[in-house]
Amino acid sequence: MAKVGIRVWILIVALFLALLTISPSIKTGVEITSVERNSTAFNEGLRTEVQITSLNGDKIETIEDYTAAIGKLFESSNETRKVVIGTPEEEIIMFTDKALEITVGKIPKTRIKTGLDLSGGARALIAPANVTLTLEQTNDLIAVMNQRLNVYGIKDVTIRSVRDLRGNNFILVEIAEATPADIETLLASQGKFTAKIGNTTVFEGGEHDISDVCRNNAQCARIAGCFPAEGGGSLCNFEFVVYLTSDAAKRHAAITKNISVDETGQYLKDKLYLYIDEQEVDSLLIGTDLRGQVTTEILIRGGGTGANDQEAYKDAQNSMHRLQTVLITGSLPYKLEIVKLDTVSPLLGDTFARGLMFLGLAVFIVISAALFVRYRKIKITLAVILTMFSEAFITLGVAALIGWNLDAPSIAGIIAGMGTGVNDQIVIIDESTSNRNVSIRERIKRALFIIVGAFATIIAAMVPLFWAGAGLLRGFALTTIIGVTVGILITRPAFAEIVRKLEDY
Amino acid sequence: MEQVTGKANQDAHQKSWYDRHYKKLLILPLVLLAFCLVYLFFFYQQNGDIMRKDVSLSGGTTITIQGDIEREGLERQLREEISDVGVRTITELRSGKVIAVIIESSVMPEELKPALENVLGYKLTNENSTTEFTGSSLSNNFYRQLVIALIFSFILISIVVFIMFRTFVPSFAVVFAIFADVVMPLTLINILGVKLSAAGIAAFLMLIGYSVDTDILLTTRVLKKKEGSINERIYGAFKTGIFMNITGLLAVLPAFFIVTGLPASFRQIFFILALGLIADILNTWLTNASILKWYADKKRIS
Repeated sequence: MAKVGIRVWILIVALFLALLTISPSIKTGVEITSVERNSTAFNEGLRTEVQITSLNGDKIETIEDYTAAIGKLFESSNETRKVVIGTPEEEIIMFTDKALEITVGKIPKTRIKTGLDLSGGARALIAPANVTLTLEQTNDLIAVMNQRLNVYGIKDVTIRSVRDLRGNNFILVEIAEATPADIETLLASQGKFTAKIGNTTVFEGGEHDISDVCRNNAQCARIAGCFPAEGGGSLCNFEFVVYLTSDAAKRHAAITKNISVDETGQYLKDKLYLYIDEQEVDSLLIGTDLRGQVTTEILIRGGGTGANDQEAYKDAQNSMHRLQTVLITGSLPYKLEIVKLDTVSPLLGDTFARGLMFLGLAVFIVISAALFVRYRKIKITLAVILTMFSEAFITLGVAALIGWNLDAPSIAGIIAGMGTGVNDQIVIIDESTSNRNVSIRERIKRALFIIVGAFATIIAAMVPLFWAGAGLLRGFALTTIIGVTVGILITRPAFAEIVRKLEDY
Repeated sequence: MEQVTGKANQDAHQKSWYDRHYKKLLILPLVLLAFCLVYLFFFYQQNGDIMRKDVSLSGGTTITIQGDIEREGLERQLREEISDVGVRTITELRSGKVIAVIIESSVMPEELKPALENVLGYKLTNENSTTEFTGSSLSNNFYRQLVIALIFSFILISIVVFIMFRTFVPSFAVVFAIFADVVMPLTLINILGVKLSAAGIAAFLMLIGYSVDTDILLTTRVLKKKEGSINERIYGAFKTGIFMNITGLLAVLPAFFIVTGLPASFRQIFFILALGLIADILNTWLTNASILKWYADKKRIS
C-alpha cells in the first residue's frame, strides 16, 4: 500500500475531530437537563449535563430510579430535609423544603441536537403586532419569555430572534414539550395583569407590586374543589396566595378605607376585579376586616372546566399555573401575535427518523451499484462511498459543534451536500483516468477547476436563503454550505490523492 | 450554414452525424421551453401567480394524522362544516396502504381541529397528530422572500459563471440552461396540479446548484481542454455528466419507491429534483452543448 499522504491525514484528523464533537456516549444513566436559575440546586453548583449517580444513597441508573427516589424523599409535606446528590465527581449536600428545581433526562447517545421534526414538539414564530422592535428590545422580550417558561417549568426551549430579508423581526421559539395553549398564554399573550377596585388599580403583575406568589405548596396554592357544572361537564376551582409588596399593600389600604360595608355586613360593597389583558378573569369579595388594612396576602381564585372531574382538575391546574407565571413575571412589554405555529407529534418524528435511515441505506446501495457497474473497480467504488459518508459525518460534527438543531430542512441540506459530493468525485475519477498524455497533476487540476466552480455556484444559490422567510429554511442553507465547504477543503483533496494513488498502480 | 474550414487535414475528416445535425438538436429544447413559457404566461393570467401554493405559502392549517383513514369519506364529511378543505393521503407505494392523511385548509387550527375531531370521533393530541399553522400575512411575506431568494440565487450564480468563463456566449449558454432547468419542472408541476410548499421552493434552489455542475463540466471540457476534437470533448463530458445525472436520479428515486414515512415536504423536494435532473439532461446535452459547439465552430476553437 502506498504511503498515506498529507491530504488523507487531514481527512483522518477531521473525521476524528468530528467523532469527538459528536461524541457518541457509551455511558448510560441520568443527567441534569435544566436547572432553575438562583434556585437552591443552582446555588449549590448543579448544572446541566452533570450526571446524577445517586440520591440520598439510592443508586440512580434510569429516569424511573430518579422519579422513585424523589417521590420517596418528598412524600411528606413541607419540612426542610437534607438532600445528598451524587455525581461522578462529588457529592452535593443541600437543605431544602421544596422539590428540587431541576429536570433530568437520559444521557443522550450523541451531542447531535435533533430539531422538532425528528423529536416532536412545538415551534412558534412570534411577531410584535404593529411595531418594529430594535435588537435590544427583542432581546428584552426574549428575556421575559425565557423567564416565563422557566417559571412555568417548560424545559428544552430555544428562543432566538430572527430577521428576514425585509428587516422584520421575529422570535422563533422551539419547545420539545409544550402544548399550543401553553405557547399562546405564556409567550404570545401580553399577560398584563391588573387588580382593580372600581376604576382604580390596586396592584399589577410583576415584581414591582408582587413580592412572591405561592406555588408548588399545597398549603397556599391548591385546587379547592370540583363540582358538576351547569349544562354538563365539571368545574374545578383553584386558589393561591400572592404576597404584595408594601407599596401595593399600602395602596390597597388607602383604596379600601373609604368603601362602605354591604348589606350582609361581612364584605365591602365594591369587589376586587382581576383582569388579564383587559379581560376580567375573576372578582373577589373583600372581607370587612380588610378595610383600610395594610395586608400583604391576597387570595386569588379561578376555575377550570372539562368533560369530567379529571379533565376539569387538570384544566384548573394549568390555568393556575399560567396565572401564577404571569403574576410573577409581569406583562410582556409588547403586544405579540403568533404568525406561525407548528406542532409535530413525536410519533411522526420517529417514523421520519426511521424513514431517513432507510433512505440512507437505499441510496448507499443504489449509488454503490451504479458506481461499480460504471467503473468495475471495487476500490474506486469504496473510495467514493467512504468519502461521501465522511463528508456527511464531518458535516454532522460541525453541526454538533455549533449546537445546530437538526430539523428536516437541515437534513435535506446534508443529503444535497452528499449529492454534489458524489458528482464532484465522478468528475475527479473521469478527469484523472482521461487522456494519459497529460500529466495526472494537470488532469486533477482541471477537475478542481470544475469543482471550485460548482462550489462557488452552490454557495451563491444558498446564501440568499439564509435570510429569506424568517430563517425557517436557514438549516437547509447552512448544512449545504457546511457540506460543500467540508467537501472542497477536506474530502475532495483527500479523494483526489486516493485516486492518484490508485491510478499509479 | 455550415462552415467550411480552410485547413486541409480537417477537410479530410468526414463530417459526423453530430456535426451536421447539432443545430437541429437545439430545436427540441427550444420548442419545449417556448411551450413552457407560454403555458406559464397563461397560467399566470388565470391564477395571478406562476404556481399553486399550499398552505405554508398561502396561509392556513395542515394537520397530519397517522393511520389508515378513508380519504373520501373524511373529505366529504369535513366539507359539510368547512367549505375550503382538502385531504391527501400518503400511501406506501408497494402495498398501496394508506399510512397517513394530510388535511389542509385555509382556516385556523381552532376551527379545523374540532371539525376533524367530530368526524374522526376522537381527540387530536400532540401525540397522534402534527399540526402546522401559518398566518396569511407571514406566508405572503414568506413566499415573496423565497421568490426573491430564488432570483438572487440566479443572479449570483450567473455572476459566478461569467467570472469563471469570462466569455459571453458560453457563460450565457450555462445560465440559459439553468433557467430552462427551473422553468420546465415548474411547468410540469403546474400541469400536474401540485401545490408548492416552502420546501418545494427551496428544492428549486437546490436544483439550480445541482444542475449547474454538468454545465460547468461541459463548458470547462470544451473550452479549457486542449486534447481531442470538440466532438470528442463534448462526448467525454457527456460520458461523465450523464453518469452524474443518473447517480443523482438514482439517489432521488428511493424516496418514492422504497422509503415511506418521510414528511410530505421531503417528497416534494425529491420530486422537484427528479424533474429537474431529467430537464437538466435535455438542457445540458442538447441546449448547452449545441450552443457551445456552434460557438466553438464560429470562433474556430479547436
